Formats: sequence, structure tokens, C-alpha cells
Amino acid sequence: MTEPVYWKSLDELRRDSRAQAERRREFLEPLPSALAPAQEAGAHNGRRDFLALMGFSLGAATMGACSRAPVRKALPFVNQPEETTPGLAGWYASTCGGCAASCSLLVKTRDGRPIKIEGNPDSALFGGGTCAVGQATVLSLYDDERLRGPLWRGQPTSWSEVDAEVQPRLEAAMARGHRVVLLSGPVPGPSTREVLAQWKRTYPRFEHVVYEPRSQAALRRAHLECFGRAAVPHYRFDAAALVVALEADFLGTWLSPVEFTRQYARRRVPEGEMARHVQFESGLSLTGANADERHAVAPSEMGAVALALLRRVQAAAGQPAPPSEDAVPVAAPVLDALAASLWRHRGAALVVSAAADPALQVLVAALNHALGSYGSTIDLSRPSLQAQADDTAMATLVEDMHRGEVQVLLVHGVNPAYDYEDAGRFADALERVALTVSLGERLDETAARAHAVCPDHHFLESWGDAEPVASALSLRQPAIAPLFDTRAAQDSLLKWMGQPPDFHAFLRETWRRTVFPAAPGADAAGGFEAFWDRALQRGLLDLAPAGEAAPAFRGAVDQAAAAVRAAQRASATARGADTFELHLYESVGLRDGRHANNPWLQEMPDPVTKVTWGNTACIAPAAAERLGLGDGDVVELSDGMVRVQLPVCVQPGQDDGTVSVALGYGRSQAGKVGNAVGAGAYAFARLEDGVRRHALPAVTLRATGRRRALAATQTHHSMEGRPLIREASWAAYRADAVAALGAPAAEPRSLWAPAAAKGAHTWGLAIDLSSCTGCSACVVACQAENNVPVVGAEEVRRGREMHWIRIDRYYSGPADAPATAFQPVMCQHCHDAPCETVCPVVATVHSSDGLNQQVYNRCIGTRYCENNCPYKVRRFNWFTYAQNPRFGFPMDSALGTMVLNPDVVVRSRGVMEKCSLCVQRIQAGVLEAKLASRPLADGAIQTACQQACPAEAIVFGDLDDPQSRVSRMSHGPRAYHLLEQLGTRPGVGYLARIRNGEA
Amino acid sequence: MTASLRPVDRPAPLAASTLRPQWVTGASALRHVTDDIARPLAAWPGRGWWLCFAASSLALLAGAVAVAYEIATGIGTWGLNKSVGWAFDITNFVFWIGIGHAGTLISAILLLLRQQWRTSINRSAEAMTIFAVMCAALFPLIHMGRPWMAFWVMPYPNQRGPLWVNFRSPLLWDVFAINTYLTISLVFWYLGMIPDFATLRDRATGKVKRLAYGLLSLGWNGSHRTWSRYEITCLVLAGLATPLVVSVHTIVSMDFATSVLPGWHTTIFPPYFVAGAVFSGFGMVMTLLIITRKVMHLEAYITMHHLDRMAKVMLFTGSIVAFAYATEIFTAWYGNNPDERFAFWNRATGPYAWAFWIMVTCNALLPQLLWLRRVRSSVALLFVLSVLVNVGMWFERFVIIVTSLHRSYLPSSWVMYTPTLVEVAILVGSFGLFFTCFLLFIRFLPMVAIWEIKGVVGAHPHSQKEAARA
Repeated sequence: MTEPVYWKSLDELRRDSRAQAERRREFLEPLPSALAPAQEAGAHNGRRDFLALMGFSLGAATMGACSRAPVRKALPFVNQPEETTPGLAGWYASTCGGCAASCSLLVKTRDGRPIKIEGNPDSALFGGGTCAVGQATVLSLYDDERLRGPLWRGQPTSWSEVDAEVQPRLEAAMARGHRVVLLSGPVPGPSTREVLAQWKRTYPRFEHVVYEPRSQAALRRAHLECFGRAAVPHYRFDAAALVVALEADFLGTWLSPVEFTRQYARRRVPEGEMARHVQFESGLSLTGANADERHAVAPSEMGAVALALLRRVQAAAGQPAPPSEDAVPVAAPVLDALAASLWRHRGAALVVSAAADPALQVLVAALNHALGSYGSTIDLSRPSLQAQADDTAMATLVEDMHRGEVQVLLVHGVNPAYDYEDAGRFADALERVALTVSLGERLDETAARAHAVCPDHHFLESWGDAEPVASALSLRQPAIAPLFDTRAAQDSLLKWMGQPPDFHAFLRETWRRTVFPAAPGADAAGGFEAFWDRALQRGLLDLAPAGEAAPAFRGAVDQAAAAVRAAQRASATARGADTFELHLYESVGLRDGRHANNPWLQEMPDPVTKVTWGNTACIAPAAAERLGLGDGDVVELSDGMVRVQLPVCVQPGQDDGTVSVALGYGRSQAGKVGNAVGAGAYAFARLEDGVRRHALPAVTLRATGRRRALAATQTHHSMEGRPLIREASWAAYRADAVAALGAPAAEPRSLWAPAAAKGAHTWGLAIDLSSCTGCSACVVACQAENNVPVVGAEEVRRGREMHWIRIDRYYSGPADAPATAFQPVMCQHCHDAPCETVCPVVATVHSSDGLNQQVYNRCIGTRYCENNCPYKVRRFNWFTYAQNPRFGFPMDSALGTMVLNPDVVVRSRGVMEKCSLCVQRIQAGVLEAKLASRPLADGAIQTACQQACPAEAIVFGDLDDPQSRVSRMSHGPRAYHLLEQLGTRPGVGYLARIRNGEA
Repeated sequence: MTASLRPVDRPAPLAASTLRPQWVTGASALRHVTDDIARPLAAWPGRGWWLCFAASSLALLAGAVAVAYEIATGIGTWGLNKSVGWAFDITNFVFWIGIGHAGTLISAILLLLRQQWRTSINRSAEAMTIFAVMCAALFPLIHMGRPWMAFWVMPYPNQRGPLWVNFRSPLLWDVFAINTYLTISLVFWYLGMIPDFATLRDRATGKVKRLAYGLLSLGWNGSHRTWSRYEITCLVLAGLATPLVVSVHTIVSMDFATSVLPGWHTTIFPPYFVAGAVFSGFGMVMTLLIITRKVMHLEAYITMHHLDRMAKVMLFTGSIVAFAYATEIFTAWYGNNPDERFAFWNRATGPYAWAFWIMVTCNALLPQLLWLRRVRSSVALLFVLSVLVNVGMWFERFVIIVTSLHRSYLPSSWVMYTPTLVEVAILVGSFGLFFTCFLLFIRFLPMVAIWEIKGVVGAHPHSQKEAARA
């Protein structure tokens, strides 16, 4: 019997030939044939197909196995940190510690670390603005040369050990009734004041001496004499229709420049009641460059000017005034007109002076009093607490130290071994103190000489509070846990006092006890915890002001007048045939020198001289010609004892016979970045009549014959008659804007068809040149936001600075009395960009929302775009700036690179870069609105430069939206474009500068 | 016999014509031509050659080191800055491309115009073109910030869109123009040498040389049909190469003319640059040939008549260049554009005025001396003048590029430019490359076109036997 034959299908049973063929095949579906895809199963090229597929598989597997990404260390968190979402920024309200002004900030953090400083827009005093120094402080947090732990006698040690050394000695000294002195900068806020008060209560021989290298001691003393209160008043520039400044750089460095710039800019709107600003000064300062009328006056003659004005105003007020005065360097008609103007604006006039001359300050106070400024533009009832030093106290302390009368000295936030007028004597005196403790952040000149160094946190790691103006409080909270083994100075003080070293708790407690009860009802609702949370979140608290009436004036004006005249005569005698008066000032970038190790500030061009990486001896063009000196010639300044060598900078507008030198340079222990940059000039300061003077009547200036080229970013000062900055006088503008400024240019005719599909927006900027003061906060803000590299002095000399935004500064008029104009220039985002057509590889394109985009990855670096840009705003990466020891900090240090913004690429060598209109911020804003399903509001997106500007001069927005601020500004009568005649159709518009020449 | 005598000592050919100018002196028979030109190729080069070769190799080495340093470290090793993006790099580029134009003009245009005097010089001139274009092509490559991505200027299909190049950019037109120019010049040059390679193959002693020349001659058999087709091919190539003389430098000039910068943005550049290119090219040809005719004893082939003709071309083109300068200055004044006026004022009186006046003296004033027959007949003076012409033409490009860039629209960005040692070394290196190649060329390849010279030699009609050997 045959075995049964099984069949699987009817076809098979029927012995269908096809079924038989299929049975013999292993696979029902044919393998894909690489060679003949349309062929039927059982194709002839089976072997070829097989080989083809084998080859493909082998190739695919090989390719898949190739080029693995290089392994980099990725350390995942074991526990997710609270409040940190990768990719989302966290914002903390805090207070700036860059100087004593204590502006309110919002600190942007990413991945748990601060990367950008912005102003707190809720602040009534400061608005959302910051200054260049404030913007740069985020970098100093990541300074490699910060102290990483305590030191005892120069050796690294632990906190317990250093406490074990310090505390017993302290207690022993206190037990014996010795003097224990804390030498510090101005105490910012009530909680630290309370710590010191507790110290005083615990130990009555505890003293606190406040020291400021550039103090307002003269101002405070004048107010003590005149009003019985040693205080610095709170100035209201926005309430003043006429501002007269006598050697006061209130927009750049004096007292509270961010606040004053904001007030000033608000009052300088040409469409409103524009204030007038008259400046008397020796060197051309940032403020003087913005003045409507400026007179060059030597420091010794400033008193005479004040006296002349005072007498005239007194005469106008009908008071008996002694007959007129000695030589005044300003013409009598000018003074008459100004005095008359002051009198006309009484009640809305403001006279300020930062001069370290108590007699002059008394005269200024008298002048203000006669004009009724106290109570209107000057608020003495709510004084500023930003300057607290009294020069005599420091001088006395140094002498006491020298005599060995001080046993313990604690130093915090000051560096007298560098900036005291006789630094050598201070260092010497320091040796005679039994125990010196430095609570500073870094091993500066003073800390290097201290027995113990107990490093304080950086302000971004600290708790604290501040009271810049009485009853306006702000809080400071850490935006990052301390990077190093540092301890808050207040913690150290508390511990050594025997209290628990927890300043955070102390702060809360102080606020609970003193501030919370005084808080306005709305803020205080919900109990202390809710109040505290709200206060921390907002960062600010405004208490009801004390509201005292302006006290009576009792200044000895005649005495002051006599003193002023005597000083002027003394100066005249001291002056020689070829001597100069020396005028020392704080530069906008380095201020008193504490930030010398911050490369962003060293490379920020000085707003007036445009010099970087060093200070200069600024002399007048006439003087330069007389002496045969030019920019870069090294001269030696000497007052007989101190000799300092500096390169010359020929400064238009400088008073002939005066030489101005910036303080803050010539440090020896700042760090790798700041050491030996420039020359130190503090040694020229003198204590005289209890006030430290920063003006010397006679120094000799001798050419050394050497040359050192200035590292200047702009070497040409004139506009050469080109219409780059449009200006008009206020009177002409008000009368007929079109006649004053010219009709708006017609849209240039173009051969091209209108641009391709437009997106939902067309982004643009409007820059108001009447508001811009030239302070350069935007320059540093842009550098921080966009990871712009630092190149160093040598590269700046070669013209290769990398700043995406620059402030062009032009002079016009005679060299001894020029008018100055500032113009911020960044990529103009031209709608018909000359750079876009010439790039061979399409690395620069125009987006549908109006941005000119630089595609870093595509750029091969032919630099044609740089050549073809008429605005010269493109920056080329000449070297590898990142991770290159040649360029150092910050991009070469692992710590320094923590400041980089992760939203912005770090560019490689050979690639072009330029302003992107902060496209990362635009995208963030657009995304936020989209996620919240709401339309994008005007003002929701701010470019970094706009955000930083204390004068609110830069406005970003949608040019397609007729209601947006930028549209309205761009279509106003003052609007124009730079180099309009070229037909580039820029997306950045400028508003003409209006000067108020009226009296 | 006659072959062993130097060319100048040989008896004059009997059939010398008095109507047509005699382009070759001292060759009584066609085989003398071959001997004179091919003999140096077999011999060991003399001391003069070795000295020149050593010097140029040293220069090339210096340049190579400088280029390697610059590519490894960055364009920052040059003196460029935020306003001056191009200086030595593009000056050198335009300079070398310009020099190349003389060769093409001699080979192609003069061929179409049936100028027989070109036959002595066209081979060397064509070689000079090749080497000059090679030197020139170096600069766009090394001046890039990221030269390892240079291939992105080529429009090749890709997966990124596809992402093409920017056809509106003159730099891209340069890519096409230079590549075309190099290709056509190479083909033309090589093709022209095929019969000469055949000659050398037939004369070669030694297997290596026979093989090498044999391969290069592509099996040339010298038949009538071959010659006929060959000459048509040459004419066609000449026709292709002729427009290049005008177009290539026109496109190079568009790099500047299509920009917005005052001093660059002017329509005169294309004809001005072409004339300048021919001018500087002839200057370089003159310099090279005066040296080599002396060193290689080829005075009979490159005669004073040739030098005279070349001098006249130089005079003509130099006058065009001078006229162009005058036109530019007039237009700047007449056009009343303040930026344009300032650009020219700055050129003549600003910090780079010294370069401007060198340019004017060497290009516009000195060549006018060539009106004098005395100057045209003095080899020494011609040599000096040709060198000065090239100096002047280099400075012309330098002045155009640097003075327009360093002071443009916004005075706040006015800077000074100073070259660095690296840039100078690269310039010297490019000369090193050029001369090294040229010295190798005259050592290994026939520097005078043997077959073309024979066409113009007024020699005795030769016998069949001699014809077979020649």
C-alpha cells in the first residue's frame, strides 16, 4: 500500500504547474531584486540578486558600525535637582554687588547656574536697567582666581581650623579690652547693619569704619554743616528741568548711575518737556558728552564757578550778595544766562557736584537751597545710603594701626593696600596689627597681607538685603549654591560673635522683627511666611518713607566762599609754567579697580576715549600740540614723590592745563587678567582737611620718548561731514520737525521684485539717540548673552575686537569744545543686504521674519560679506578663541565656560559672526506665547541690549504691527536709517538726537 | 658643420625673404631648429639654472611653511582686521590671474589674428599661464577661514535640500571662471606640445625618456591627415580660449565691481582689469623670456623683433590702463558722490599714498617710455621696465583693495592695515612656486614650439632625408 500523499491546496492536487513551482521555492515572496525590480519570482538573476543583497547588508552593517559618536563624559543626576528643568531658565530676584549702588536684578539661571544678569523691571528706582559693571559681575562668579577656601598665614586650611585660630585670638583681644575694627565698604542693608549692631552690643570696643576709595565725604560733610545731617541726598533728575553738574559723572560712575540714567532719559524726551543739562568739568566724562552745554573748567576753578553762580542766584533772589569775585574761567555772560535760567526754573532745577571739596559742596548746597531744590529735585528726607564713608575715619584708623593701637582688624569688601592714598603706609600699618582677617573674595593686595583669609561668597551666592535709598529695600538671594568652600562674611561675623553662623536665618529674623511690621498692608497680608516668599520672589519692598520736612539751611556760605577762593589762589601758586592739574576719576568700566580681573570690563571700550585694556593720560589737543605729543606717547606724571608712566590720549574737550587719569588700573594682585594692566594712580590722592582729594594742582608731565600704541576700538573721531547722526536743536524741532531734520527719505527704488514670502512678523529695532548716553551696558550685555569672545589688548590694537554691538562716538565743532554724539551700531538686518548676495556658499540669508541670519555651520570664511557690509558690523573669528590658552579666561577655563549661554553656539575659527537680533530670545518668546495660546505681545521679547539699557534707548518689536512701539518710533518725524542712500533698507532705525540749547 | 655652430654664427638662409620680417635668425635648416631647442633638454642643466632653481625652491619652501602655519593657526596670523577683510590674499590672486592672461592672448588671439611672431614665445607664455593660474588658484583656497570646507563652493548634488551654492556671488563666478580657464589652458598647452613630444621621442636616447615622451605624444605619426586634423583642433581650441581672455578677468573684476564699497563699485572695472591683465602678463612674459633667451641661448628664436612687438603690446595696454585711471578720477569728481570722491582723494593723499604713486608711476608714466625706439631696442631697459610694470600692477590691486576697505562709509571703523611676515612669506612663496615650475618646464619640456617655429623659419627647402629626420 502506497503511503498517502498529502496536498496543501487544491492547486497542488490538481497538479497546477505553478503550484509545483511554488512548492519547490523556499520563500513565497521573492527577495527584492536589486537589478530587476519588476521581474517575476524565480527570476534568472537569482545569484546576482543574492550577491547584491549580501553586499547591501554587509555595507549597511558596516556603515552602522562606523563612526560612533566620540564618548564624552555625561554624568546624570541621581536625584533630579529641585526647580531645575534642563532647557528652561530659572529667574531669581537679587541685588547687585558690583558697586555700592545696589541695583535690583533678576538673575537668569540655566541648569542651576547663573548665566545672565538683567535688571528687575519692577524696581521703581532702577527699572530694568543695569550698567556694564553689573552685566559683567556674572563672569566674576566664575573667576578661576577666586579663593576656593580659607587661608591661614597663606596656607589653605579648613574652616574649623581657621576658626580655631581666629576665634580664640579674637576672644582674647576682647577679653583684654583691645580695639577690634571692621573695615568695610558701605553696608548695603539693614540686616548686615543689625549684625554689626549686635557686635557693638556684644563688645563695646568694636568699631566699624567704612572706607571707599572714591567717597562722597565732602558731600556728606557739606550736608552735615548745612542741614545737620551727614547724608547723601536722593537726587531726582526726572524732576529737574535744568541740571547743572560741576564735575559730576552722574550718568557714568557717580552714586547711582543706573537710576540717574533712567531718570535723566525720561526727562530728555524731545516730544515732552525736555530738560536741559549744563556741565562744568575738566576731563570729558560720559555725562559731559551728553550735556547740552559744556564748559571745560579746571578742578581748582570749579569752586569759583559755583560761587559765581551762587552770587548771581542770590542776587536774583534779592538777597544781599557780596560783590563779585575773582577770575572765573567761564565768561560772565554765560554765567549770567545760566544763573538766570536757574532762577527761572527754581523748584525744578538741580545742581550736583561729585567734587571732593567740602567748601565747594557747601556752595552747591547753598545754591540748591536758594533754588528750592530741596524738597523737589533733592530729597534729603529719604537719603541715599549708597555712599557712607568718611575719609577722616579711615585716615585716623590707619594712623591708629600704625601706632599699634588696633589689635584686630577685619577687612571686608575693600582693598586699601591697593587704593589707599598711601598704600605703602597702610601695608606697613597692617603689619602692626596683631590679627588681620580678610573676608574678601579673592587674594587681592590686602588679603595677601592678612593673617587669615576667610573668603566671602560672591554676591550671586549670598543671602542679604540692601537699602540703596532709605525705605526702598531689596533682597539678595543665592542663584547658585556656593561654588567653593567659602562662607558668607556675615556668617563669619556671627560665628565669631558666638552666634549660630546662619545669616539666612538672621536675615529672615531681622525682616520679621523690623521690616514685616512696617510693610504696607497689601504686602504684609497672609503672615510672615507668605510675606517673605513674596518679598523674595519680587526682590523688592518699598516701605512708606519717613517723610520728614526739609530742615533749615544753616551752612556757612561765606566761610565756604573764602575757602574756595583760598584754594584757588593756592592752586594758582602751586602751578608752574609747565605743570598740569591732575584730575583723577573712576572709569565707567573698572570703577575703583575691584573688577580689574574681569576681561569683559577690561575689553569694554571706554565710552569716551574708546580705549581698552589700560588707562591713559588725557590731555587737551592744544596741550598735545604744544608738547609735541600724540596718542600712545608714553609720559611720566610726577608730583615730586609719586611717578606714574602712562600713554597719552589726546582728548578733545579736555581742559587745557589739566590731565585726567582713570583710577582702578595698575593692580598687582588682581589675577592673571588684571595684573599690570594700566598704571595705578591712587598714589596721587591726598587727604586734605579731612577729605580725600582727587585733584592735584600741579603735576609735571614729561615725555619719555617711548611709544605704546593705544588699544582703541575707534581711532577716527569725526563724521567727516557725513550725515551719520542726525541732530537738531529742540527749538527747531518743536517749531518744525521736517525743516529741522529733513523730510523722511523716500523708499529707494529697487530693481528687484519685492522680497519673497514674509512671515508673521518683521522684527526690527529702533534706537533713540536722544536717550542713549553711550554707557556701553549693551555692549557687555550682548557679550554675556551671545558668548562673544574676549580677544585681548594686542588683538584690539589690530582692530579685531569681537563685540557685536559697538557705540560709535563722534565729535563735532572745535577740538577744545566739541559736541559729542553716540550711536550704537549693530547688524542693521538690511532687507536688501549687501552681505547676502556675495557669500559664495549661502552662509548668510534673510529669514521670513526680517532677520539677516548668519549660518555658522555653512560659513567657509571668505570674508566677502565683511568687505561688502557698509556698516562694518561683521566679526570674523581670526583664531580659535575657545579653549585656547593664548586667549585665556574665560573661554579657556572649565569654570569660566560655565557662564556661556547654552542657547547660543560658540563659534569656531574661520567663521563670521554678527548680531543676530538675539534670535534665541525671539524664539523663546514666540514659543512661550504659542504654548500659552496667546498672541505675542509687543514688548514681550527684548533683545539683550534693549534689556540692559538703563535709558531704554533701544526698542525691539514687530515692524509689521503698526501699533508696536518700534513701528511708531520708526515712523515718527525723528526716524531715519543709517546710510539710507545705499538702498540697503535696514531693519534698524535711529531717532535723531535733539539737543536742548534753550536757556 | 653648420649644425655645430651657434645659431648666430650660421650662414644666413638663402631664401630669406625681404618682404616679410625674419622671425628666426640663424637656422639654415629645419633640423637646426629641432637641435637648438631639443638639445638643452638632453643636457645636464648649467649652473645658472641650478642657482635659480635653488632660490625659487627656497622661496617655495618659505611659502609652504607660512601656508601650513596659517591654516593650522588661523587667518589671524595675517594682518587683516574688522574692516580690511582682504589684502595680500586677493591682491595676489588677481595679480597672478592677470599674469596668466598674456599666455592665452598670445596662444589664442594672436593665432586667430595670424601673427606669426607669436610662435617663438607662445609655448613659454602658455606655460606661464598655467603656472600663474595655479599660483592664483592657491589664494582663494588658503584665504578661507575654513579651507577644509572649500569644496562647498562646488555645486554638487547633496542630501541637504539639495543645498546649492549662491549663484549671485561673484566669488562663485570666480570658481567657474578659474576652473574653466585652467582646464582650457592646460588642454591647449598640452595639445600644442604633442608634435614636439613626438620629435623628442624620436630623438630620445634611453628607454625611460623614450617611454615618457612616447606616452605624452599619444602615438603621433606625423601623417598628413593627422596634421590636418590637428591644425583644425588647434584653431577650435583657440576659438574657445579667446573669449576667456576677456571673460575671466572680467569676472574677477566683478568681485569688486558688484560690491557697494566706494572705489570698488564702478562699471569701468571689467575692461580696466582685462587691459591691466594683459599689460602685467606681457610684463611677466618679457621678464621671463629675456632671462631664458639668454640662459638657454635662444636669442635666434626670441629675437629683438619679438621683444619689440611685445613692448608695443605693453605700451598699448599700459596706455589703456592709464586712461582708465584718468577716467576713474574724473568720474569720481564729476559724479559728485562724496564717498566716491573721498575714496580717490584718500588714495592719492592718505596713508597709502605711497602705494598709489608707485602704481601710477610704474603703470602710467614709465611705460610711455616705450614710444622711444631706443628703449624698445635695449634689452636691459626692457627688462627693468617689465619688472617695474609688474611691481606697479601688484600695487594697483593692493591700492584698489586696501584703500577702499580701510576707509569706507563709517569713519568709526577706519583702521590701518599692516601686512605680517606670514603674508609676505606667502607672496614670496607664490613667486617661488611659479619660478620653480617654470624652471622645471624649461628643463624638461620644449620651451619654444618646434613645429610652429618651423612654419615661419625662412630656411632652405629641405631634402626628403632631412625632413624625415627633423
